[in-house]
Amino acid sequence: MSTQRKPLDQVVIAVLANRLDSIVREMTNTLFRTGRSAILNTAKDFSCSIVTADNQLLSSADGLPIHVLGGGRQTQSMQEFHVDLAAGDAYLHNDPYLGNTHTADHTILVPVFVGGAHLFTVAAKAHQADCGNSDPSTYMPFARDVYQEGGLNFPCVRIQRDYKDVEDIIRMCRRRIRVPEVWYGDYLAALGAARIGERRLKSLVERYGGGTIAEFVREWLDYSERRMTHAIRALPAGRLTAEGRHDTLPGLPDGVPVKVIVAVKPDEGIIEVDLRENIDCVPVGVNLSQTCATAGALIGVLNCIDPDVPRNEGSFRRIRILLRENCVVGIPRFPACTSMATSNVTNRLINATQRAFSMLGDGHGLAEGAASMGAGFGVVSGNDRRLGGAPYVNQLVIGNNGGPGSPFCDGWVTYCMPDAAASVMVDSVEIIEQKYPLVIRSLRLVQDSGGAGRHRGGPAGEITYGPLHDPMTVAYFAEMHEDPPKGTHGGKPGSASAVYKVRRDGHEEPLPPIGLVELRPGECIHGFEAGGGGYGSPLERDPERVRHDVLEGWVSAAQAQALYGVQLSGSRTDGSLKVDVDATDVLRRELAPP
Amino acid sequence: MTRENPRERESRGEYRIGVDTGGTFTDVVVGDASGILSVGKALTTRERISRGILEGLGVAAAPLGLDSGALLQQTGVFIYGSTRATNAILEGKTAKTALLVTHGFPDILVRREGGKTNPWDYTVEYPEPYVPRHLTFEIPGRMTSEGKAIVPLEEASATAVMHRLRALHVEAVAVCFLWSIANPEHELAVARIIKRELPGIPFTLSHQVNPIVREYRRASSAAIDASLKPLMQQHLREMQTDLRAAGLAGELLPAISLGGVMHIDGVVEKPIHMVRSGPSLAPILGQVTGAAETGATGVIVCDTGGTSFDVSLVRDGRPVFGRDTWLGARYVGHLTGLSSVDARSIGSGGGSIARVDSGGLLCVGPESAGANPGPACYGRGGSQATVTDAALLLGYLDAEYFNGGRMRLDTDASIGAVGRIAAQLGKSAEDTAAGILTVASEHMVAAIKEITINEGVDPRDSLLLAGGGAAGLNIVPIARELNCARVLLPRMAGALSACGAQYTDIVTEFGLSLVTDSRGFDYAGVNRVLAGLESSIEDFMQSLRARGIARFRTDYFVEARYRYQVWELEVPLPGARISSTHQLVEIIKAFHRAHESIFAVSEAGQEIEFIQWKGRVTGELDRPPLTPLLTSQAAAPPPERHGKAYFEATGGVDIPRYRGTALLPGMRVVGPALIVEPTTTIVLYPGSSATVTPFNNYMVEV
Repeated sequence: MSTQRKPLDQVVIAVLANRLDSIVREMTNTLFRTGRSAILNTAKDFSCSIVTADNQLLSSADGLPIHVLGGGRQTQSMQEFHVDLAAGDAYLHNDPYLGNTHTADHTILVPVFVGGAHLFTVAAKAHQADCGNSDPSTYMPFARDVYQEGGLNFPCVRIQRDYKDVEDIIRMCRRRIRVPEVWYGDYLAALGAARIGERRLKSLVERYGGGTIAEFVREWLDYSERRMTHAIRALPAGRLTAEGRHDTLPGLPDGVPVKVIVAVKPDEGIIEVDLRENIDCVPVGVNLSQTCATAGALIGVLNCIDPDVPRNEGSFRRIRILLRENCVVGIPRFPACTSMATSNVTNRLINATQRAFSMLGDGHGLAEGAASMGAGFGVVSGNDRRLGGAPYVNQLVIGNNGGPGSPFCDGWVTYCMPDAAASVMVDSVEIIEQKYPLVIRSLRLVQDSGGAGRHRGGPAGEITYGPLHDPMTVAYFAEMHEDPPKGTHGGKPGSASAVYKVRRDGHEEPLPPIGLVELRPGECIHGFEAGGGGYGSPLERDPERVRHDVLEGWVSAAQAQALYGVQLSGSRTDGSLKVDVDATDVLRRELAPP
Repeated sequence: MTRENPRERESRGEYRIGVDTGGTFTDVVVGDASGILSVGKALTTRERISRGILEGLGVAAAPLGLDSGALLQQTGVFIYGSTRATNAILEGKTAKTALLVTHGFPDILVRREGGKTNPWDYTVEYPEPYVPRHLTFEIPGRMTSEGKAIVPLEEASATAVMHRLRALHVEAVAVCFLWSIANPEHELAVARIIKRELPGIPFTLSHQVNPIVREYRRASSAAIDASLKPLMQQHLREMQTDLRAAGLAGELLPAISLGGVMHIDGVVEKPIHMVRSGPSLAPILGQVTGAAETGATGVIVCDTGGTSFDVSLVRDGRPVFGRDTWLGARYVGHLTGLSSVDARSIGSGGGSIARVDSGGLLCVGPESAGANPGPACYGRGGSQATVTDAALLLGYLDAEYFNGGRMRLDTDASIGAVGRIAAQLGKSAEDTAAGILTVASEHMVAAIKEITINEGVDPRDSLLLAGGGAAGLNIVPIARELNCARVLLPRMAGALSACGAQYTDIVTEFGLSLVTDSRGFDYAGVNRVLAGLESSIEDFMQSLRARGIARFRTDYFVEARYRYQVWELEVPLPGARISSTHQLVEIIKAFHRAHESIFAVSEAGQEIEFIQWKGRVTGELDRPPLTPLLTSQAAAPPPERHGKAYFEATGGVDIPRYRGTALLPGMRVVGPALIVEPTTTIVLYPGSSATVTPFNNYMVEV
């Protein structure tokens, strides 16, 4: 490479950085438009990214945080196992012990060659409708180990050579995955996304030249690191400890405690997250994979850092995550089951980390976000008589967890949960009913469910649905039933999750928060996800905003009075609702802590 | 203004009028089969839009030796583009609208389809729904995806809701029930109840305005459409009445967001089609002019009006469309549910108001003085300093020849207004005025970068084309900031969108839904559907033939997908019938090919589902031809006059002011100088120059 090159023009750097993002967005669009299961073509539970040949994450525009951070370990295993890596290859990787998130996420990796040199790897990671687990569910909360979990494992195997399928692998998947046709279509969608990325990157390198691109990569990662250093230098120094707890599980009467120790070191421009003081791996499916433990801590940190700082391997150089072997929030020991690694304990980890940051003072960090995968995120399965009895399995992404209150605004409504942080879309009722033989009876947001605060937590959702013609199984995971999301700086916790079964006669009976239920036609599952935690004292919320909350039905008049200390007059239904300023002043003085 | 003396021309048929009413100015462009003939500009009259149009028409008619009435009588096609619908939404001036939804599903507009631009950003407020929750009402009644009513419609409950709507003084009603596209019975029944209980209140049914699956998009279309009806229906009817009264005999065709035009009755019925139609005509001119001038297939089209600055793109020789149209930003705005020309709009233009904020910073826009009162120099009661005032103070406008001399500008008023800002900043009036232009330019540069660099397009690879009345004031520094070596200003730059209207076709689409698949293809059903489309198209063509439009192109398409997919691809059909397995096989092959080319993969042998059948008819209007003129070897004639101007690089200098009409193809003007055109002024900053192209436009080397 020439050493005489002029430094890259700032405009070229900006153009290329954005061009990479737009390539990733085009990959994302390809997967979204062509996917076959609703979790991909409607909920968008997948992510695309570009990684350098030396395994550094470069761009992950629009990706799910949990999916894209830590992608470098997967491409590293591709290089280790496949010394004959060549153009036209594609790899299927879902091994949580080799850098993948959990078994249900199939990752397609495509090495991009230009002029014979491997320059990038493009990745498309998609949550599958089914992955061959022993139950018809992509999550196995109670599995003792990977053997009981049962999902097909692909430790980075070649699935295309010379742009043609390796039929052996295809046949394995078609045999063991419950919805073979849907799986193959979803595989094609991910492959197409990766191939689109490959085409676009090749023409980009041809247009700008390999030297310019290599220089850009170096400059861009260095620039990102400088931005992160600068952002950390602006924070106060501190050593912060926060704890959280996953609800009880069989054999774990205390649930799974999660402890996070964050050291903010502005003088060094470093943030350190120590997760080593956590318990050993547990004999159920909630252990984190190493990638999820790393990503969870990173997400918690990144949620509290200037959103303009680029999120890539360059900026991550300033964040150190300390993990240990055989730890539930760390490096799992084979054959510990990591089936729930992307959600449950990870969400507790993210919440504890971002709440730890709030201890730097009012104006920092976040409250906790809601993370229930109850009825609204259940995995439904059965046979569809409209399609000649063909089997179906799919996770719904139609519930609503409330986002955390922040120093700046209320919790996001369509937050999904901390690991996906609003990047996942929301299912359409009509698309779900068209694709699966079920009927949704109601879907609404719940009053008074967001934790009260200066900035209120986002609301929980409530949903009721059941099968149309034939029995249907629903696997659901309503974590946050016992320990709902916490508020911070005086903010209140959000509402807890719950699940019920509605019998044909309309009678409701509570179901265990995490479980699997079979419903017959006429029966329904009825569930509540959780509300987000509030940030700051509710007595500091602008009374006009409280009035608006009451008018719009987010907050009841009773809670406005009891928690927010706001006295209203007039009526919601005729436009006369007003704040009684004097009564509010008196009430707020009475409610204020001494 | 004219390109050649119209009185010496033979009349070559009927006139075609393009009108674009912006927030400040109304542009009128008259053309015929031989080319664009004249341009008129007048202030927009919001209270009665036709007044401004007729004034502009009078200006444009004069060089043709006509008055506006005579011009209208000889006009075959009158194309009307307007920002009215968009502005009403952005300014919150739409009707108080209620939304009726299926019981149990009140939060369709709150939750939208989810998504967020930056998952790491916790400073962004969750957006309010288009219709607030307290104006959303649930009606018991439920259809399934197969169109079966599993819960009957509770008419009594609907009636009770109507009484509440009356008490709340609701002005429009949108109705969106789940699966109304599978069975519209419940929506139609509620329509009858609205008519009975709320006579005269306009309403929109979701299955009629946008019959698509996905309840959010359909509800959003219905809510936006209903909220526009009181305003837009009155507006369009008034326009039609006024123009007919003024003599218009031809077709009045409103421009729609898709970049073509629609029959006025269709727009009255569905005013949502006018949303974001304002910027949709400009890229058509960019496409035609760019190709003719430099063979450019990539063009950045900037339109600087009085109120807003719009940027759109031509890529690969075609205007860039967005499949999803957001009102406001992606995920936090509202989806119209329809596709449209992709354009970015910001509140920045000649009328943008300058002020000093609480921190002592100079801010420009997005508030605009509009046409009324307008900039201080208009002398219509405006006292706040605007971009136009700054330009006048700097000597970038000719006070005597603004808008072709029809408006005299009050320089003292500008000096007073800018002076007040200067005093707050503690700077000279000239530095302050230059600062106002710089800040406005910054906003515009950012908008251009957003649609180019942010999408990975290097602006230097495209032709920059600028128009709109205020474009010439600062396009040179903007081009410099973008590192673009040159910028094209069409001679008619002042009326970019209205010029674009001269090159548009009449495009209308008809669609019918019939689901079948490649294994059990329903020939009879499909051919019945296609025959229905054909007859709708025939009726439409008949109505246009009566207006003298003779050339038509019809195309048929089907939207298809692989089994289990939920998004479709459009595949062309051989014609209005599918009569043989051979034809079906060709369609199937075309689908696989399209899938492979767009998505890099295809699945041979997989079943293909056919969902929606479409017929598109294009009525081809005679486009004014673009032919190069002979270039003159002569030097530019001496400037008409000189005037003082102030540039940051030079300070105060005396510069020549050329009258644009005197500059012929081939002539070159070197800056610093002004070129004063009747509808725009080009400021040639020191170091820049302009050459008149063979197509009679200005190519400015910056």
